[in-house]
Amino acid sequence: MRTTSTPRAGLGLRIATFLVVAFLYVPLLVMILYAFTTQTAAFTFPPPGLTTRWWSIALGNERMWEALRLSLVVAGVSTTASIVIGGLLAAAVYRARFAGRDALAFLVVLPIALPGIVTGIALRSTFAQLELGFSTWSLVVGHTTFCIVIVYNNVVARLRRMSPSLAEASSDLGASGWQTFRHVVMPNLATAVLAGAILAFALSFDEIIVTTFVAGQQQTLPIYIFSILFRPRQKPVVNVVALVAIAITFVPVLVAQLLTREEGGHVR
Amino acid sequence: MRRTARLGALATALALVAVACGGGDGGGGGGGAADPDQPPITSIGEPEGQVNIIAWAGYIEDGSTDPAYDWVTAFEEETGCQVNVKVAGTSDEMVALMQGGSGQFDLVTASGDASLRLIEGGTVQPVNIDLIDSWDTVDDRLKDAPWHTVDTDGDGTAEHYGTPYQWGSNVLLYNEDVFGDEPPTSWNVVFEEMTLPDGKSNKGRIQAYDGAIYVADAALYLRAHRPELGIEDPYALTREQFNAAIELLVQQRELVGRYWHDAFVQIDDFQNGEAVASSSWPFQVNILGEGFASVVPEEGATGWADTTMMHVDAPHPNCAYLWMEHSLDPKVQGDLASWFGSVPAVPSACEGNELLGPDGCTINGIDNFDQIEFWKTPQADCFRGDGSSDCVPYHEWVTNYVAVIGGRDPVAGT
Amino acid sequence: MVVSEAPPRAASGPGRRVGAVLFRHPALRLALMLLPAVLWLGGLYIGSLGILLTYSLYRLQEFTGLVVRDVGLSTYALLWQPANREIVVRTVAMAASVTVACAVLAFPVAYYMARYATLRMRTLLYLVVIMPLWSSYLVRSIAWRAILAGEGLLPWVLDRLGLDGLLRLALQAPLVGGPSLVQSKLSLFIVFTYLWLPFMILPVHAALERVPGSLLEASADMGARPRTTFRRVVLPLAKPGVVAGSIFTFSLTLGDFILPQIFGTSEFFLGQMVYTQVGVAGNLPLGAAFTFVAMAIMLVYLGAARRAGAFEAL
Repeated sequence: MRTTSTPRAGLGLRIATFLVVAFLYVPLLVMILYAFTTQTAAFTFPPPGLTTRWWSIALGNERMWEALRLSLVVAGVSTTASIVIGGLLAAAVYRARFAGRDALAFLVVLPIALPGIVTGIALRSTFAQLELGFSTWSLVVGHTTFCIVIVYNNVVARLRRMSPSLAEASSDLGASGWQTFRHVVMPNLATAVLAGAILAFALSFDEIIVTTFVAGQQQTLPIYIFSILFRPRQKPVVNVVALVAIAITFVPVLVAQLLTREEGGHVR
Repeated sequence: MRRTARLGALATALALVAVACGGGDGGGGGGGAADPDQPPITSIGEPEGQVNIIAWAGYIEDGSTDPAYDWVTAFEEETGCQVNVKVAGTSDEMVALMQGGSGQFDLVTASGDASLRLIEGGTVQPVNIDLIDSWDTVDDRLKDAPWHTVDTDGDGTAEHYGTPYQWGSNVLLYNEDVFGDEPPTSWNVVFEEMTLPDGKSNKGRIQAYDGAIYVADAALYLRAHRPELGIEDPYALTREQFNAAIELLVQQRELVGRYWHDAFVQIDDFQNGEAVASSSWPFQVNILGEGFASVVPEEGATGWADTTMMHVDAPHPNCAYLWMEHSLDPKVQGDLASWFGSVPAVPSACEGNELLGPDGCTINGIDNFDQIEFWKTPQADCFRGDGSSDCVPYHEWVTNYVAVIGGRDPVAGT
Repeated sequence: MVVSEAPPRAASGPGRRVGAVLFRHPALRLALMLLPAVLWLGGLYIGSLGILLTYSLYRLQEFTGLVVRDVGLSTYALLWQPANREIVVRTVAMAASVTVACAVLAFPVAYYMARYATLRMRTLLYLVVIMPLWSSYLVRSIAWRAILAGEGLLPWVLDRLGLDGLLRLALQAPLVGGPSLVQSKLSLFIVFTYLWLPFMILPVHAALERVPGSLLEASADMGARPRTTFRRVVLPLAKPGVVAGSIFTFSLTLGDFILPQIFGTSEFFLGQMVYTQVGVAGNLPLGAAFTFVAMAIMLVYLGAARRAGAFEAL
């Protein structure tokens, strides 16, 4: 919450901000541009001509839709599992002091702080050791492992920011502990959970490092994209697929963002 | 309250999306049908609905790159076996995938430098050729080739570990704009620093294959240019010969812009003008098309002869057998030969194939069988089978070549 | 702040009763809340790392490439080969430069968002920053190939501006140069920086946001010049955010095995080496051993980050 009036930023800072944002977006614009190029192989600038035919080729591709469906399922289930596990853990770590609390708080960060390849190859060895095959579930296990921390971080950050006086006021008014939690704490946490869930979903949806090791022969959207990344003769199709993925996933983010109107979202 | 209600609605909607998209188990898992100690199956049963194949890029086409080249769709419709392809870039990758992929993969199109390792490691199973109706049509030079025919049980009769698929030669791919009317005739354009016909140095503009088997290409070059080394078989190198080959590769490191692993990335690099000459496969030359050409240089070339081999834990053995039979179909063999620039394992495929043309097999080198040094895994006993250790074994090829790519000289130790 | 308007009611129904029971038994409640995370992270995750550790103690049978399950340190000995040691040094150097670049680029955006932007602007910028995370990492990477390629956007722009000499100069530079932009370490550095930048902006912003405007005003009131305020007040407060962000940029660079295949000079990087050993060479023991190098580096880093208070800012 901001109390002081907003001062005006210096010109240098505004230019720097603009340049960095431009740096973030030029590749996205290039991606959009080359989804329409008439070139089938090497991309040159400027593109010699524009066409929409890659769109019908991409949209008619069944493997892409299958991969997209798998990615949505894995991201959806992993996010849900992370909300349960990460949310409960955050509440427990925030409210109580117990032996091993610090260790647990450290442990939860590990899967995301260590390179993804560590998580990937470790889980893969475990699946191999237990002779479990690869399935949607192996993907969910892999993704949930690094999504937990994201929900956890968002909820913990919110709990820290939440004024303890609010809960006290509730008790003073005669509410039981459960009632306070149910009617005061929960609604306040909802936006934090949602913000965390969106980020968790996004990370899962675009993850490829861990995925490579726990996917077996299944193709999530990123794995599918990787398999056609350098496909000759239809190169722009990859760009179309990426844009379709953005379109499908961007709408929920936007809606959620508008609904929460919080600058929530502590990444990872 | 209103906000929480909306949030609740959104969360519910997201959950519904997840559920609606749910279901489906993505395959995987599943127990193996074959036991390593069991004899191969004696009849082909009900197809299992899919078959998972590890293959070289361009080896199994379903028409998605070019509608004219499709030997998958009809098979899928006919047998109900959906074909899933995993592309591998090197023989080492194929071996790794097969060994790590118990219960995942059915078949692999293994070259000679992978096939014996797979047999030795017990990763592949003998194939009952009585179940392959087209077996008799296979080129006689390939039927009992040593890279897939091994007497593993010691009963005096050799077992067949798969069906021959295609063979061919590695080529020197080059950019015609750069070489103009002076096409290269020797591998020296990728091994020695020189000025190319376009007036610029070859430094940074050539590529080399990133598989350790490429050491043999260096040995082949030395066989022609440094006869005093006495190299005969580029896969059976004494320590001295091997060190000379590594020295050549260290020298080449200065010239190489990137090592290629993925055929499609190489195509991209040539199209972007990042690379202008490289050891390559006829496949890349075909895809690149106009402006690019290839040659088998005067020193000769290494090559490959590939076999479709079956995993010992193949989850879909019936579909796997159906695919092996299908893979020997003359039309499939001819189309593939035209697409990849290789030679069919079934000679009758050379006739009457529209895509291949009447001279296709000759152009692709069907008469050069004896001149090609086919990929095989180097062994310490120089293939004499006597337990000696005069030659440098393959694992040293791997460690040394990785060091070379990393910019080191493993021989000099600097 | 959101306060539910529903008045507290007396507990009724089984769900509520369970809730009420749990709230009367804090120890039981705590145990139940911790159970899933402890099982998942303490059991599955740590267990997997343990299995990985045992694999790194095995070795490879050289001809067949099969794993031999004899426990020993022979695989770790391979790590000391100069070529392998160099991979580690090269990767850490890359990760460090990418981290510094990300911090420098992230700061203005994060500072602008936290200090000057209106609520609407801040929401917008927040979306702008996370939006790239929603678009395929792979496709954004190859978009860079189209930008950096010989006939791509950047050479085209530089050519128009008459700055193409600059590019040639950069490519001749030792260490970062190469035969062309795509085939140089410079391109790898640019694309890594680009990809991980949002992971730096967000925590830095979160840290800066906690700096009350009044603190800056107080500093100014007490006569500090803006530069001094920035150095003495803003930077120290941003530090935990930068350290938190650097954990991501560092760890993501260490573990990436895809970019070095698309950009750079074909020299190996750590993540790529793990991937190659496991996926291409089939040498799970050596891959596992390399993984433990990456882990060791990150654990040292995390230890330092923890002391810098970064975990509060994650």
